[in-house]
Order: sequence, then structure tokens, then C-alpha cells
Amino acid sequence: MTEMLREPRVRTALAPDPVAESGTKLPAVAMQGVTKRFGGGRGGDPVVAVDDLHLDIRDGEFFSLLGPSGCGKTTSLRMIAGFEYPSAGSVRIFDQEVGLEPPNRRPVNTVFQSYALFPHMTVVQNIAFGLEMQKVPDDEIATRVGEVLELVQLSGQARRKPSQLSGGQQQRVALARALVNHPKVLLLDEPLGALDLKLRQAMQLELKRIQEQVGITFVYVTHDQEEALTMSDRIGVMNLGQLLQVGPPEAIYDTPRTRFVADFIGDTNLLSAEVVDADTARLTDGTVVRVATGRPVGATVTLAIRPEKLGLWHADAERDLRLDAVTGRIRRMTFLGNAIVYEIVTETSGTPVELTVRQGNTPGIEHFEPDERVRVRWWPTSTAALED
Amino acid sequence: MSVVDAASGPPPDVAEDSVVRPKRTVERILAGNAWIVFAFLYLPILLLVVLSFNDNRTVGVWTEPSLRWYQAMFTDRNVLGALRNSLVVAFISTVVSTVLGTAAALSLERFRYRGQRAYDGLLYLPVIIPDVTMAVMMLLFFVQAFDLLGAVLGVNASFGIGTISLSHIAFNISFVAVVVRARLAGLDPSLEEAAADLYASRWQAFRRVTLPLIAPGVAGGALLALTLSLDEVVITSFVAGPGSTTLPVYVFGLVRRGVTPLINAVSVLMLTGSMLLVLTSLLITRRRDEP
Repeated sequence: MTEMLREPRVRTALAPDPVAESGTKLPAVAMQGVTKRFGGGRGGDPVVAVDDLHLDIRDGEFFSLLGPSGCGKTTSLRMIAGFEYPSAGSVRIFDQEVGLEPPNRRPVNTVFQSYALFPHMTVVQNIAFGLEMQKVPDDEIATRVGEVLELVQLSGQARRKPSQLSGGQQQRVALARALVNHPKVLLLDEPLGALDLKLRQAMQLELKRIQEQVGITFVYVTHDQEEALTMSDRIGVMNLGQLLQVGPPEAIYDTPRTRFVADFIGDTNLLSAEVVDADTARLTDGTVVRVATGRPVGATVTLAIRPEKLGLWHADAERDLRLDAVTGRIRRMTFLGNAIVYEIVTETSGTPVELTVRQGNTPGIEHFEPDERVRVRWWPTSTAALED
Repeated sequence: MSVVDAASGPPPDVAEDSVVRPKRTVERILAGNAWIVFAFLYLPILLLVVLSFNDNRTVGVWTEPSLRWYQAMFTDRNVLGALRNSLVVAFISTVVSTVLGTAAALSLERFRYRGQRAYDGLLYLPVIIPDVTMAVMMLLFFVQAFDLLGAVLGVNASFGIGTISLSHIAFNISFVAVVVRARLAGLDPSLEEAAADLYASRWQAFRRVTLPLIAPGVAGGALLALTLSLDEVVITSFVAGPGSTTLPVYVFGLVRRGVTPLINAVSVLMLTGSMLLVLTSLLITRRRDEP
């Protein structure tokens, strides 16, 4: 039981932090104050698709822009590609201003959501297109196309037309067609969206393998949080045209800064609380919990705790002063196969707090029944105070 | 696709069942109607073709088969002159209207600009305007334009092949634009973005990606323009000058002077030409579905 509530690993114990490692290196993409407005004029008010975006994407990293549809992530990507021009701000690729350059003068290539393979050309002709446009000699084109076909494991399909390929194969051609140009940055616009789940999971690993093999910076746009968490070195979460938080997947997941980020990525318990002092806050039922509040005393603050970071004990379990705890009653239990989810309502005075607890279905785990009185405990480091 | 067919083989029962034979009276009438319509459309054509091979001088009286009127047609200087005019006008107006019509379709489909909606509606006006109206408009326009040219530049312009070609271009642009636009609308805009992303200039992207993909539409539009130009009578007769008659206008004139079997032969020639054009355009548009 206590095994489950091991103290969370301290982040510095993880792999070397890429921030420190590449702090002095030139960012692959640097966006400063980038704003994009659509429409306006006689048609009415302009729609702000991207609002004052500041973002540095590091050389060689797998960076994901994550957010719901219409959040501005695709528009941001299209401004890096050159399909849209920013209304304000600067876009730099390896310190070269490209904000107003057309797409064919930018050292980036794109994998489109619809793949956008040229239907009248064979696989090889599709892949060779970019090299031909750059006037690369024929023998070099042949070599590079051969190499990239091998990289995406499509050597057998070279003479086929796109319509004769499966969705997964078309996806690989689109990837090969972009990679063969050795772009400084590869842009991917929800490239796995059209594939079924199994194929998508296989392609996620494949994309990550290819990215590690070629060492090119990938900028990946997706609305699928699992995809972003699985593949990315860092994630930028966007909503309503604004970049809300940037960080490694663990940081985004474990210490969300805003309500939107906490809610959009994974499941979470959002608890309303009042700040007691810099290190503690009081829940609505009166329980005092430890959390770095960063707010003036008496202010209200929303706390976020992931359901799987909560541990469940019998109500008479002995106290552990290192942990925060509440006592409550199980209202509902849902068996998910690999996990069991409990909904708990606290029993103390004041407004009761509702908590969702997720326990992995591991051997030796204790099962609880509805209406049973339980004690919920968690490490204070699992609690994050949100900014809004 | 062919792989699937070969593997599963032709399903034996389905093909038989899919042919629904008329059973009830209403269905029989409907089926009979199809034959009547068919006869209504094609009997006159059959009659024309048969009579064009008739030896007799009187149009409606059959004596014996001969190629006499075809011979006469190909030795008649008026017919040959009109045919030459028709071909020249058709060629010029087709080439020019295909280029301009395609450009118009591209600009309407790919860009957003001020006054686009108005332009959009106005572009298709010539498709619905009655021919006679268009003819009067053209005539007026040319008369005014000639006056202006004479007054300002001292140039003495007159009606002829030039004015006919310009008029044909004027109405053909709309038809080409309609056909090309239909094709463009089905084209994924990200294909052009992909070309630009892969270092193609605007022209290269058009030349290597857009044009090959809309080629069936452009060819279809060109053939339509060619057909329309070759068949046009009303507008042409208004803006033609002396000695610049086209074939259909010449035939029209012949009829007024009395029908001779020569007209039958000329009509069959025009019919054959038109059918070949339509057939070609069908073949081209059908190719679009193949990979």
C-alpha cells in the first residue's frame, strides 16, 4: 500500500534537463510577439487566431503544439511554414527573419494533415519534387530518394501512385517527401489524424524513431494529449490563440499552471481553496493542505491534484505527517479493468469536497466498496496551485 | 482496384438481379417513352445523313446513293472559304478564351479580393444572355469602337474575321471558366501549398502540379469553346463582314435561297465534326477518375 505512494521523483534526478543543456544554442524557431488576425475590414471585427505568441523551439527537439481545434496551433505552424503571414511580430528560423518570406524560400518542410501527395506522380516523383525544384543533380536525387525510402520503409512501393497506397503508406510518403530535403525544421500538422488507433500508435513510435535518427527539429501540431505526451521533448499548450504553458511532458502533466492546462491534459481534481500562508491553503471543508500558493493571504485559489496521485486507506489508518489527508465516504466505484476509480465526498464540516481517486489494479491492492469510510492521502508535492 | 476484382471474381447473381425489367404498366410506358425520345432525337439526324447520300437534285426524293454532293461541297469555293473562316475563328477564339477563362477560374477559386462576388456573377452572364441580345451588344460595341479608333488613331477598322473572333472569345471565356472552375473546386488547396513548401515558385507550382491536375477541365473547356464557336450563327451573322462568312452562317444563307442536297452534305460534315469533339471531351473527362 505504501509502495503506491512512493515519494515523487525529484525532477533533477531525471535525464539532463534540455533547458540547461541547450541554453546557449540558437533556437531552431523563435517567434516573438506573433499575432495573426483574420478578416476584419468591411466584414466586421477581425478574428484573432494567434495572440502575441512568444516561443523558442530548440534545435533538435520534438516540440508539440497542443490544444483544442481553433486554438491557433495550426495557424502558428502555418506561419512558420509561410502559408500565412503574421499580422505582427517576428518569426526567425536559426536567427534568420522569415516572417514575410514565401514558403519556397524557407528552410522548412511540412507534412500535411491531408498528406497533399501529388496524385499524378508516383511515390518517387513525389519525393524527388523538392530536390528537382532546388536543382539538385539527378544522381544525387536518386541516392537521396533511395535513402529516405529506406528510412520510411517504402522501398517496394517506389513506382506506385499515391491512390494505390494505404493511409499509413501515404503518410510515410508525405514524411519522406519532406525529409528528403534535409529541412532545418520539419513541421507536422496532425499527420496521424486520419489513421486508425492501432496504426496511429505504431506511427507515433515510428515518428519518434525517425526524429531521433535524423536529428531534425520537429514541430508537431496535435489536439491529442496522449500523442503529445508520448512523443514530445517539450509541449506548448494553446487555447484561444494564446500559449498557456511550455514545458516537458512531465512538467505539463504534473504541475499545470492554469485551469485549462490542468483540465485539458488528463483527468484532474480541481479544488477551490483559500490561501492561509505561502505554504498552506484551506479547502472548503476546512482541511488545511500544503501547497506553494504564491498568493496573498485570504485569496481564493484553485488547486489541482491528479486522481492517480491520491492514495486510499481505511478511515482508521495511522497518521503520516509527511502526507496531506482528508476523510470521506465513497459515493461511487467504477471498475475500468486496469484501474478502479472512486468518487469520494469528504465528511468534515463546511462545504464537502469531492475527489476522484484512481487506483491501479495491481496485485495486493485493497478494494473498497461504496459507502465505506476512507482516508485519502497524498504527497504535498502532488498539489499544484493554478493561476486562474 | 483491379486486384480486388481479380481476387473475388465477378459476383454471378448480383449482375443479373441489378437489371430491373419493367413489369407493371406504368413502368412499361416509362420504358417506351425512352424509346420515343430517342427516336425523336435521332430520326432527323438519320434522315439527314441518308439523304446526304441521295443522288437526286430534289431534297426529299430518293433515287440512288451517291457521293455527288460531297464532291460538290469540296469543290465549292464558297463552302471551302466559309469552312476555312470557321476553322480560323474557332482556333483563335478557343486558344484565347481557354487561356483567359482558365486564368479567370483560377483567380475566382484561389484568391479573395474586393468585388470578387460581383465579378463572379458577371462572368457567367454571357452563358445566360440570349444570343440575339449578345449579338446586338457586340454590333453596337464594335461600331462605337471603330468610330473611336478612327477618331483617335485614324485607324480604319472593319467587320471581319477579327470581330467574329473577338465576339466568340467574349462568350467562350465564360464557358471555359465554368468548366475549369468545377475541376478546380475539387482540388485540395494544400496541394499547391505542398508544391510551394517543396521550393516551387508560383509558376512552377502551377506548371507542375495545378495544371496537370486541372488539365481534363481545361481540355474539356477548350473543346466546348471549339464546339460552340464552330456552331455559332446568330452573333456571327451580326458581326461578320463581307467575305468573312463562317460555315454555319453560310448554310443558313443557303436555306433562305432554297434547300439543295448540298446543305445536307455540309450539315453532315458539321454534325460529324461536332460529334467527334463531344466524343473527345467525354473521353478526356472520363480519364479523371483513373489514378
